[in-house]
Amino acid sequence: MRKRRPAVVLLSSSEEENEPSKPRSSRSAIAPRKRPRAGASRKASSVSHPKPRRSSRGVKAVKFDSGSEDFCEGLEDFHIAPEKTLSGLQSKEGIQLWVDKHKPQTLEELAVHKKKVEEVKKWIEDRVKAPKEDFGGNRTLLITGKTGVGKSAAIHVIASQIGAVLCEWTTPTPTLWQEHIHNSNLGLRYMSKLDEFEYFVEKSRKYSLLHMPNSEGSRKPVILLIDDLPTINGRAALVRLTKCLTALTHSTQVATIVLLTEYCKTESADSPTHHYEELESSLCRVGASKVTFNPITVNSIKRTLFKICQQEGHDVTADLINYIAKSSGGDIRHAITSLQYCCLRPEKCFSWQASAYISSKIESNDSTPVSISSKKEGEDAYDALPLSIGRDETLKLYHALGKFLHNKREITDQSALGSDTILLKDSFLRNPLKMDAPEKILSQANAQGRLITDFLHENVLDFISDEAIDDAWLVISYLCEADCLLANAVCSTYPQTDVIAQSIASSIAARGVLFGNSHPLPSRWHTIRGPKLWQIEQSMGLNKNQMQKETFERYPYNSSEVSTEYRPRIKWLSSQTPVDAVAQQNPVLYPMKADDHADSVSSDGLTEESPSEESEDEIEDC
Amino acid sequence: MLWVDKYRPRTLDKIIVHEEIAQNLKKLVSEQDCPHLLFYGPPGSGKKTLIMALLKQMFGPGAEKVKLENKPWKIDAGSRTIELELTTLSSTHHIELNPSDAGFQDRYIVQEIIKDMAKIRPLDSKGKKGFKVLLLNQVDKLSREAQHSLRRTMEKYSASCRLILCCNSSSRVTEAIRSRCLNVRVNAPTHEQIVKVLEFIAKKESLQLPPGFAARIASQSNRNLRRAILSFETCRVQQYPFTANQAISPLDWEQYVSEIASDIMKEQSPKRLFLVRGKLYELLVNCIPPEIILKKLLSELLKKLDFELKHEVCHWAAYYEHKMRMGQKAIFHIEAFVAKFMSIYKSFLIATFG
Repeated sequence: MRKRRPAVVLLSSSEEENEPSKPRSSRSAIAPRKRPRAGASRKASSVSHPKPRRSSRGVKAVKFDSGSEDFCEGLEDFHIAPEKTLSGLQSKEGIQLWVDKHKPQTLEELAVHKKKVEEVKKWIEDRVKAPKEDFGGNRTLLITGKTGVGKSAAIHVIASQIGAVLCEWTTPTPTLWQEHIHNSNLGLRYMSKLDEFEYFVEKSRKYSLLHMPNSEGSRKPVILLIDDLPTINGRAALVRLTKCLTALTHSTQVATIVLLTEYCKTESADSPTHHYEELESSLCRVGASKVTFNPITVNSIKRTLFKICQQEGHDVTADLINYIAKSSGGDIRHAITSLQYCCLRPEKCFSWQASAYISSKIESNDSTPVSISSKKEGEDAYDALPLSIGRDETLKLYHALGKFLHNKREITDQSALGSDTILLKDSFLRNPLKMDAPEKILSQANAQGRLITDFLHENVLDFISDEAIDDAWLVISYLCEADCLLANAVCSTYPQTDVIAQSIASSIAARGVLFGNSHPLPSRWHTIRGPKLWQIEQSMGLNKNQMQKETFERYPYNSSEVSTEYRPRIKWLSSQTPVDAVAQQNPVLYPMKADDHADSVSSDGLTEESPSEESEDEIEDC
Repeated sequence: MLWVDKYRPRTLDKIIVHEEIAQNLKKLVSEQDCPHLLFYGPPGSGKKTLIMALLKQMFGPGAEKVKLENKPWKIDAGSRTIELELTTLSSTHHIELNPSDAGFQDRYIVQEIIKDMAKIRPLDSKGKKGFKVLLLNQVDKLSREAQHSLRRTMEKYSASCRLILCCNSSSRVTEAIRSRCLNVRVNAPTHEQIVKVLEFIAKKESLQLPPGFAARIASQSNRNLRRAILSFETCRVQQYPFTANQAISPLDWEQYVSEIASDIMKEQSPKRLFLVRGKLYELLVNCIPPEIILKKLLSELLKKLDFELKHEVCHWAAYYEHKMRMGQKAIFHIEAFVAKFMSIYKSFLIATFG
């Protein structure tokens, strides 16, 4: 194994230096991407539960090479009584992430769906075993999936199972600006990550990794793994990357696996997601096979977490695990990290408390007959849980706006509400919201008051049914109030009140929209526009500035006089008479003409707009 | 040069419309004792003309040599520094500015400029008249805080500077400032006065005025002298020689507002409201002040409205005008007024016609 150290990056590099190869070889597969200390500490940790084969191997290893520091530590751990393992683990292995420590070693340990694993495995085996000529250009596999669904892990495990060597493109660390300055001072040429990637691909195509020294008779098959694609920005880079990858797909001699991470949709059209989708389709077009990994199911995450708990000797309640698994959203890496975080807490009361809280909620949830309100409560409990674990639940601004504008509500009949509710007039009654409290959504979307108010103002009229002008008024009057509050917020000298006023304003705007729109249109697809108001304000500012420049030179008027009286007249004058006549009569007007023209181009002036409007009106009259 | 500028009286003696005020001001200045002054009156009544003539009376022709400056100001306001640009018009004797251009930071700009002025105290050759004049336009648009701080500064620096304030309505100027100033009300000129001015211009331009034409312009001008002269000039360009029944073209934005009003009357729905919003934006882009839009819109709507609704509609217009002043974005409030009007009008229609 050690001799197989190649010029190209090999993953199983450092560990062989510390460890003798003999005990390792008993394990059939190579665990390729392992940190130097991973092996040793795992043996230590596995002491707490009986697994005779491994522990005995640990002892053997000690005999073999007792000088190694790692194994001294392992020995210490071995002697510690089982009750104390907790503290021992914490002090010694606090640095070790469970995600790395409990990396799946066998196919069975993988949390990924069996079928997918089989599919990938079969694909790799076919490519590895079959002679080079087969499969034509189809030597590339594209694996896509969300973060943390085990794409890399699956590949590593499979590779070690079938005894293939993974040759991985490791992204170079990004260059800092200071470094860049330093380098360029030294005369080193900057090489972008994309350049380096192209270089790597070129190299691997040309030499097809065959130069890798392999003295052990039977040559181990090589798999090229491209995990981390260089970040691309803009069209040109995308084209380059696509070209590079398609070339690789066409000409690669070894099995190549490309991992693509799907990000959730982002707002801007120019996001990397967009690029990756294109990349994916172009790769498929040139004949790469594609496998998509779905998010890992809650059950298999739970299974994995339980196993880890057992191995670590932590007594974590089933409910907590349940909660972690549910909140992770199919991201197993995240789930494991959350679990470690929960177990790291020094005092156990935290987890007790939390789990008690959860279990009570779950009980209430399960025991009561399934009614909408109680179920909702249960879900709320999950959200309101004072745990700081779970994936970040931020919402996109547009998502939040959509919630407010669509205004989805539960359908309940009045009698079901019972007598304990306060009786309101019909005009004030609204069905319960089918969403979290608006303030929560606002805080998730991290929306500023001004922003949310402007967006709501721009879009809300599209969501009010055509009959309900009263609703429109109500909604807009709430937006008015929000605007007044925001104006005060800007004026105030105390930053704290500023923040409060902001959040109150946004809450009023959101709630006003929700309350006021009592006859929302049936749900349908609708684009949400950016506020036109911003654009208007900008061009208004420009116009104002220009006006000031034009008029102050002649005589100081205040702006409202200029805009309401002078400008229309001057415009009219200059449009009515031939230019030379005006120039003769009023020499001052002449330079205005040019300005006026420019003005009407930059912002569509009244004069251009009004004739068309008039004609429209005439049509309506007929 | 436009006739408005060309025939603007430059000295207090030449003023036709407010002769009495002009003479009083002249007496006031010649006695070497000039208090702070507050001019108020409707637009187009001649406040500015009076002020400029007054300045000329005080400082001589030097007051007319003005230069335009767009100066960045750096103001230290306690914890932060505010940077803003403000256009000022200044001669050696006075500075003129629109403090309301500074928006909600007007408070600082007023203080800062006055302090700045007080530092450089001009001395003329005789060592007298050691004060400068600060001319503030649109004082009624100053925020309450700014007016409050203005009051203090007025007292503190009264030795070195005189303020001339100019506004449309004195009701929006705080009591404290009003009591520290000599208030000069400048009335809107009567129709007869406007006709007199138009005839004066016609004589100077040697134009033939058919009888009744000047009166028609005057009656359409809404007692705004500036507007009267401007539309007089447009008529001259449009058609000369004049005929007595010549059409006087209205202002384009006013036409546009009345279009909006008829849009509102025709249909009351969120969709129509959206359309109206687009048209209001169009007006705002052209820097028509929102208050004026609202006012004009109200008067257009009232024209077509049933008598019993007038009171309520006026109430809401006033309400939203007030809100607009408190708020930041005028469109919200104008639109709210339109929506409220639509809602009132629609329920009225349903109640009346079923």
